Amino acid sequence: MVVMDQAQAPAPPRGPGKRAANRAAAFIAKKVLALIVTLLVASLAVFFSRFLVPGDPARFLLRGRSPKPEALEEITRQFGLDKPAWEQYLNWLGGILHGDWGRSLTYRQDVSDVLLGRLPTTLQLVALAAVFITVLGLFAGILASLNKGFSDRFILITLTAAGAVPPFVAAIALVALFSVGLGWFPSFGSGDGGWDRIWHLTLPALALGITYIAMVARVTRSSMNEQLLREHVEVATSRGLTRGSVVARHVLRNALGPILTVSGVLVAGLLVSSAIIERTFGLSGIGQLLVQSIDRLDFAVVQAIVMVVVAAFVLVNTVVDLIQPLIDPRIAAGTESR
Amino acid sequence: MTQLLTIEDFTLGFRDRPPLLDSVSLHVNDGEAVALVGESGSGKSLTTRAALGLFPGGSEFSGTVAVQGLDTLTASKQRLMELRRGHASMIFQDPRAGINPVRTVGDFLTETLLRFDGLSRAEATERAVKQLEQVGLRRAKELMDQHPHQLSGGMLQRVMIAAALLNSPDLLLCDEPTTALDVTTQAGIVKLLREEQQSRGMGMLFITHDLNLAASLCERVYVLRRGRVVEQGGTQNVFLTPQQDYTRQLVEATPVIDVAGLEAPAAAGVPLLEVAGLSKTYQLPRGDVITALDNAAFTLPEGGSLGVVGESGSGKSTLARLVVALETATEGELTLRGVPRPRRALKASERKVLAKDVQIVFQDPYLSLDPRIPVGNAVADVFRLHQRQGRKQAKVSAAELLGRVGIGPERFDARPRALSGGQRQRVALAKALAARPRLLVLDEATSALDVSVQAQVLELVEELREQLGLTILFVTHDLAVVSRLCSQILVMHQGGIVEQGPTARILEDPGDEYTRNLIASRPRPLWDAEPVTA
Repeated sequence: MVVMDQAQAPAPPRGPGKRAANRAAAFIAKKVLALIVTLLVASLAVFFSRFLVPGDPARFLLRGRSPKPEALEEITRQFGLDKPAWEQYLNWLGGILHGDWGRSLTYRQDVSDVLLGRLPTTLQLVALAAVFITVLGLFAGILASLNKGFSDRFILITLTAAGAVPPFVAAIALVALFSVGLGWFPSFGSGDGGWDRIWHLTLPALALGITYIAMVARVTRSSMNEQLLREHVEVATSRGLTRGSVVARHVLRNALGPILTVSGVLVAGLLVSSAIIERTFGLSGIGQLLVQSIDRLDFAVVQAIVMVVVAAFVLVNTVVDLIQPLIDPRIAAGTESR
Repeated sequence: MTQLLTIEDFTLGFRDRPPLLDSVSLHVNDGEAVALVGESGSGKSLTTRAALGLFPGGSEFSGTVAVQGLDTLTASKQRLMELRRGHASMIFQDPRAGINPVRTVGDFLTETLLRFDGLSRAEATERAVKQLEQVGLRRAKELMDQHPHQLSGGMLQRVMIAAALLNSPDLLLCDEPTTALDVTTQAGIVKLLREEQQSRGMGMLFITHDLNLAASLCERVYVLRRGRVVEQGGTQNVFLTPQQDYTRQLVEATPVIDVAGLEAPAAAGVPLLEVAGLSKTYQLPRGDVITALDNAAFTLPEGGSLGVVGESGSGKSTLARLVVALETATEGELTLRGVPRPRRALKASERKVLAKDVQIVFQDPYLSLDPRIPVGNAVADVFRLHQRQGRKQAKVSAAELLGRVGIGPERFDARPRALSGGQRQRVALAKALAARPRLLVLDEATSALDVSVQAQVLELVEELREQLGLTILFVTHDLAVVSRLCSQILVMHQGGIVEQGPTARILEDPGDEYTRNLIASRPRPLWDAEPVTA
C-alpha cells in the first residue's frame, strides 16, 4: 500500500450541521442564563445595601417640619417601609418586571418617569463617547502599530499623557479651548434633538472618553503588533495582496478580539463616570440624578439607577461574549489556538 | 532552457553586523526542481523570500535576484505584487500558522481571485473547488465553508498548495513544507508536489534540512552554510560523492535505516519496567471521552533500550508521561523495579524517590530549561537535591558531568539564552543524568535539533548508556533515529500498540500494515527505485 493521509480520511467530526447548531444554541443559552443569574444577584446586593446606609428615608422627607408620629407612620406605610425586608424586596422585584420602579421620595413621581426624563441624555452622551473612543482609539492604535519608530512613540506618549488627565480637567480644558477660545461648540446644556444635540454633546463626550481612547489605542496597538508577526500575515503578503488588504483582512480582523473585550468593559463603565461630566456641562442625565438622590436618601431612585447601570454593564459584556465566537470560530469550538 | 530564477551575488544583512547571506548565487531553470539544503540559520528562508521581494525590515542588500527577468531588489511595489499574484508562489512550513485561523478555507483561497483577477464570487469558488479536488481533497465544496482548525495538518497543507497553484505560477517556492507534518502525511504531500511540478512544468525551489527529502524530490541541490553556498550540483553526485567537508558531515549525520549494522538484542535481563493493560482516557467537558493510550503492555529489561515510534496523536508521549508519573493512568499496572505505581497523583516525597530512578528529557530545550538559572547551577541543584551533596561538592560534580556531555567550564555561568539548541539539549541531558537515574526517558529529545547536532546528541546518549548502564525509553517519530539507538521497537498507532519486537525484525519484516506504511513513507532518493529496506 502506498501513501495515505488525512486527505482520504472520512469527514472530520466537526462539520457544519445539526451538531454545530446545537452547540451554538447551548452556548447562547448558557450566556443568557449567566446574565439572568448575575442580574438577580446584583438586584439582591442593590436592594439590601439600603439597609446598611444610616438614616430613615421617611424622616428625611419630613426634615424641617415637626415630625408628627402620625405623619411619619403615614409616609412609612405609603412607601411600604413597614413591611419585612424580604417582602419589600419581592414587591420591588415584581414591580421592576412590570416596569414599576416604585415612587421617588423627593420628586413625588414614579421613578420610571423620573428616569425616562433623564436617561436619553446620558445614553446619547455615552453613545457619542463610545463612538469617539472606538473610532479615535482604533485609528490611533492602527497608526501607531503600522508606523514604527517616531510616530509610534509620539502617539504613545501623547495618549499616555491624555489618559492621565482626569475627566473634569479635560472638560475644563476643552471648554476653554473650543467654546471660550474658538467658539466652535457650546459649553452648556444638551440642546434640542438631532444635530443640535450632537453639537452640544461633542465636548462632553470627548471629555468623557479621553481616558478611554488611550486605553483602546494601546490595546489595538499591542494586539495588532502581535498579529503582524504571525506567519499568516506573511503568507497573505506573499500572495500579492496589497498592504491595505493585508492589514484590514488579516491583521486588524484577527486583532479584534481583545479590542472588543476591552472596549465593551470601558463603554459599559461610562454610564457611571458620566456624572462628573454631566455636572460640568450642565446636562441633566442620570449621573447627576444619582448623586442628588444619594444626597437626599431617595433610595428608590438610587436603586433604579444602580440597577440600570449594572444591567447595562452585564448586558454589554454578554453581547461581547456572544460576538467573540463570530470573530474567532476557534472559541466556539473550544480549541482556541494551539 | 531559460533561467526562471537567477540569484547572483546576493548579499543581505543588517548594518554593523556580519552579513546573513554572503554573495549567494543560484539559479532555477524552467521546469526544474532544485533543492536548497542547510541547517537552521543558514539563510535558506531569507534566500527564498527574496525571490518574492520579501526582505526583513531594516535589512540592507545588494546583488541580483531576478524572476523571469524582474529584479525583486529594485522592482516597484506594483510589479512585485503582480509577480506574487501570477508568477511565483510560496508554500510555507506550518500550514496551521500560515492560514488565517479566523477566516474560512474558501475565503483564504478566493481572496486574491476576487480582489485582483476580477472574478465573481461564483467563478472564484468554482475555480477554488476544482483546485482543491486536484490536490486530492475530497468534499471540496464543504471544505470551502470550514475553518482551518477543523482540518488536519495534512489537509491544511494541501489547501496551502492549492492556494499556491491557483494562478498557475511558473515558479513554486517551498519552505520546508512537510516539516510540521507526520511521516506518512509528508509522503503524500511530497508525492503531490512532485506530480504537480512535473505535469505543469513548473520550476521549483525546495528548501529543506532533510537530505533524504531533497534527494527524493529534486534533481539539483545547493548546500547552504552560514549564508554561503558551499556546494552545488546534481543531487546524486552531491550526496553520494560530496566534495566539501561540511556536505560530507551533513550526509553522515543524516540518519538512515541500516538494518545490517544493527546489533542483536542482548539477552533479556531483569525487568526494570513492566507495563500491563495501561490505559489513559481524558474526559472532555462536552462528555466525549478521548482514549490517549489503550491497553499498552510491554517489558523493558534493565540496561535495555526501547524505541517507541508513532505519529502525532498515537499516544507515545502519553506513555512517556505515564512512565515518569506526570500523568496518572486510568487503568492498568505500571511496575518499576518491582514497585507498583499507585493509581493516583504522587505525593511530593514519592515523586522525589521516583525521580532518582526515572528522568525525562523533553523535545524542546528552549522551553525545558529555566531561562533565569545559569546552566552550571541548574545541574548542581540536581546534585544537591538527589545526591544530598553540599554546595561546593555539587559544583564540582556538575562541572564534571557537564564536561562529560561536552559543555566546557567557560559556559557554567551562562544562562540558557546564550547557548545553542544543541548545547541546551546537552544541559537538559546532564540535568537528567545528575539524578543518576536507572531509566532515562527521551521524549522526541532530538527532533528539534539540526541533523548534525542530532547526530552528536545521539552519539552522546549511546556513549553514556554504555558507561553508566542506563536503560533507555526513546519516544520518537523517526524510525531511523530509533534504529540507531534502540534494540527493541514498539510501534504505536491511535493510542494502541500495533507491533513490538527486536528492531531488526520490525524493520526487515514488519508484521503490521501500519508499520509497513510507516517504513514505506520514508523519503527515497530519485535515483534509488528500490525501497531502502527491501
